[in-house]
Amino acid sequence: MERRKKRAHMVGIISILFLAFVVTYGASPALTAEPIRIGFMAPMKGPLAKPGEDLLNGFKLFWKQNGLEVGGRTVKILYADSACNPDTAMTQARRLIHAEKVDLIIGGLCGHVGPALAQVSRETGVPVLVMPGADELTKWDIVPTFVRLSVSASQIGHPMGDYLYNVLGARNVTFIGQDYAWGHGLTLGAAKTFKEAGGKVAKILWTPIGTADYGPLLASIPTDTDWVVANVVGADRLRLFNAWFNFGYDRKYKIAGGYWLHSDALFQLDDKAVDLIAQCNIYSAGLDTPENKAFVKAFIKEYKTVPSWMAEAAYTMGLFVKETIEALNGKLDDKMAFVDTILKVKVNAPRGPVSLDKYHNPIQNVYISKVEKVNDPVLGEIMINVPIKTYKNVSQFWTWNPKDFLAGGPYKR
Amino acid sequence: MNWILQALNGFSLGALLFLLASGFTLTFGLLRVVSMAHGMYYLLGGYIGLSVVWFTGNFWLALLAGGSSIAILNYFVNRYLIRRTGENHLAQVLLTVGVVLILADIALTIWGGDSLSLPPPAFARGPIELPGNIFYPKYRFLLIVFGAIIGAVLWIFYRKTQIGAIVRAGVEDREMVNAMGINIDRLFTLVFALAAFLAGMSGVAGGAFLSLYPGAEWEILVLALVVVIVGGLGSLEGAMVGSVIVGLVDAYARWLLPEFSHFAVFAPMAVLLLFRPQGLFGKEA
Amino acid sequence: MVLRKWPLLFCAVAAALFAPLYLGPFWLSLLMQILIFGLLALSVELLLGHIGLFSVCQAAFFAVSAYTVAILQVKYGQPTIVAVPAGLGAAIILSLIYGIAVRTSGVYFILVTIALGHVFWGISWTWVSFTNGEGGITNVPAPAVGSLTITSHSSYYYIVLAVVALCVVGYRTLTRSPFGLTLRGIRESESRMRGLGYNIAAHKYTAFVLAGTLSGIAGLLYIYFNRFVSPANAEFFLSIEVALMVLVGGTGTILGPFIGSAIMLGLRNYVSAYIDQWMIVMGLIFIITMLWTPDGVLGVIRRLGVWGRTSHNQPGHRTPTPEEGK
Repeated sequence: MERRKKRAHMVGIISILFLAFVVTYGASPALTAEPIRIGFMAPMKGPLAKPGEDLLNGFKLFWKQNGLEVGGRTVKILYADSACNPDTAMTQARRLIHAEKVDLIIGGLCGHVGPALAQVSRETGVPVLVMPGADELTKWDIVPTFVRLSVSASQIGHPMGDYLYNVLGARNVTFIGQDYAWGHGLTLGAAKTFKEAGGKVAKILWTPIGTADYGPLLASIPTDTDWVVANVVGADRLRLFNAWFNFGYDRKYKIAGGYWLHSDALFQLDDKAVDLIAQCNIYSAGLDTPENKAFVKAFIKEYKTVPSWMAEAAYTMGLFVKETIEALNGKLDDKMAFVDTILKVKVNAPRGPVSLDKYHNPIQNVYISKVEKVNDPVLGEIMINVPIKTYKNVSQFWTWNPKDFLAGGPYKR
Repeated sequence: MNWILQALNGFSLGALLFLLASGFTLTFGLLRVVSMAHGMYYLLGGYIGLSVVWFTGNFWLALLAGGSSIAILNYFVNRYLIRRTGENHLAQVLLTVGVVLILADIALTIWGGDSLSLPPPAFARGPIELPGNIFYPKYRFLLIVFGAIIGAVLWIFYRKTQIGAIVRAGVEDREMVNAMGINIDRLFTLVFALAAFLAGMSGVAGGAFLSLYPGAEWEILVLALVVVIVGGLGSLEGAMVGSVIVGLVDAYARWLLPEFSHFAVFAPMAVLLLFRPQGLFGKEA
Repeated sequence: MVLRKWPLLFCAVAAALFAPLYLGPFWLSLLMQILIFGLLALSVELLLGHIGLFSVCQAAFFAVSAYTVAILQVKYGQPTIVAVPAGLGAAIILSLIYGIAVRTSGVYFILVTIALGHVFWGISWTWVSFTNGEGGITNVPAPAVGSLTITSHSSYYYIVLAVVALCVVGYRTLTRSPFGLTLRGIRESESRMRGLGYNIAAHKYTAFVLAGTLSGIAGLLYIYFNRFVSPANAEFFLSIEVALMVLVGGTGTILGPFIGSAIMLGLRNYVSAYIDQWMIVMGLIFIITMLWTPDGVLGVIRRLGVWGRTSHNQPGHRTPTPEEGK
């Protein structure tokens, strides 16, 4: 008797819950008119404030050009400052998801913010699309709702090693690499392909991010080195450049940038930078395609500066989001459907054709660029990166079989 | 050969740190004020100097402008904020951290987030060739010489002039100096202005060496703190010796143990604290 | 006063117990952060309010226990039951080492703890092979004892609440014990206490280690809340912010640090969403607190006469309130 009563209660509760579910679910088509809410998170303060601003500008330009409407719904973008602090990033992401009810989050730039956002994505099931980052999150530690849309570290490391050996003819190379996850991927990735081609790594000089003075470090370059490769970030790029020439190392060794003279650093360099190999990267502002020319022109008109690769990355994220939502006809309730769809989308970005692999990382061109002086109708005489070699459709696994690569484990020093 | 090169690197960083730490240590010695804003003064002075260089192309004018604008700023910060905390160091620390946050945000709005390098004077660009195929940047020689000159001038002022004697007496016993009928307030203002001037100027000098960017204010402040802790709070000689030690340790560590360079300077500091908590030249804390 | 306090306490306990029922997930996670960072602030208060030492390295103890748990669980696959005591042990060991700082006092103590805090930050930042450097350590599993795993935030909330409550009770007992009275005696006059035959250095050292332990407990709660730790958790700025929490809330009370934590975290996470120049707002809070409300929000409340006596003391140089004097 008691049992039956209990069961009756249970049935009652379940049917009420079901009813509630049906009511909310049935009501949701009416909500389609609600705007799509996108959270956008970038560092606005601290050492990475400038790339953060580039991201923001690139993203804003995209929506300005395309209008804030997609798949029959308006788009509302909610901005948040990650402050380059994973704690803040996580709290902000939770706020965006729980309090602002965003449908997806775009963000991450600082190394540790990527994993932090992945954590929130795992916790809430809300898709998180990030910009660059260390390798793990699209290789060994895949989160179902986490997608990277620009590049993983070793993806642009691998072609550099090939270029060093086969084009530059380098045989004994010293790498200057930064001692954190992103830097490890860049430098060890390049060292791996370089060694496989037959080259010898003379030494890898690991430096912490924020190395104030490169003078002391450069004295450790082995004297039999023929090429030095610079993989440095942030303020270190400029300090390495100054120390390199001020200590007269340009008379001793040849230097090539694997990840060094990006366009946001160029305006401060003098003529010594011209013709240096600047970077091996997924974007180069001097790329000669109609898509890129239109993008660069629009960006310069809007912000009076050459777009950095961060700006392009954010612009292309807008492109991906738009195509995906259109393919879904504006329905974003099913988060996994969103991820499945974005993995199938192919876009013609300013940086070239981009598609995603099943590990949630893009397949795209990688360009080796050098610094050139050009005349821009708006900005006058400027320095810009111009591609001198293109590696087409580079996967994060380079030419290897993904399974074999994954078996080898992450790049760790 | 590299040992000599690294010694030069150590001295040039030491010279820069001395410019910053001497002001910090004097401010504390005389006024018992701990200002976390010193690192921000460095950065802001550097930014102002950078704008001056952009407009006039004159490095020396930039040094002067960077220094004096910070001295003026500091006058107001001191007068309206720091002075109200009395001798409560805790309040000073937090108050000046607040000042740093505000100034940092303003600087970010004006100069942006780029890492900016301040161009040194034309004659000091590029390297000098030394015997033995060593190249060394001219600017760093200049910095070492400049640091040495400032150090000598400060030392003479501190040890050999009458004002210096009063300042030293003030460090020892403030009430006594006041009782002797010397206007200690004016003296305080002078020393405070001098300290801020040095901080602003060091930013200009450092901007051409380490470049300027948001976040630099804390990085440099921590190094200056180590100098002051090693040398002893309130001691000019301590700041001299401390900055040379920190500069040298940093340079050799970067060369020999680059991975650990971030905190290599802290190890000798910790050891020193065990035996002399008041620092090399400090009085009993 | 006692009559007024009990219903208030009862309401607070009830509100805390039922929080997961009426708070949404965002507010619940904010509340957990407030409790955790309030506990960290309480460790600053232990040194500041009772012995007059202002420690700027509490973040190091906080981070060392969080890192120890993360590394043991993620890299070495150890269970919670091993990782938690190890994390606490790490915090105690680090505070035993950093205890050398109590050889100094006053401003030297402030500067030395800044430097020591920076050393730990430097280790977490540069020893990449062990701490994963800037990237931090992710994927810390949910706390599990035997077959019981606490996955949801709302059930973890009760653990946080229970641990914080236990710590608060322990703190209260400690500060009212003869040991706590001795500490306050040292703050008021070191020479007198020395004259009375107290071992000043040992008392300071013990208090420092206890504060480090308290920070370590906060770190343990934090790592299972966030499942992620990075050098940002060891930063100088975190230590400073936590100290400000104490002063914003008001020194000399147990409630103060938690109120301060609520105000600071609420502002940091909310203001930054709506105001671009949030750093200026934070800076103004620092300045206003130091200049106009040196005894914090609780001090203002007291001054307004809501809670009886007024006091106009400077932080760190406070005379004990009547409750503590008992």
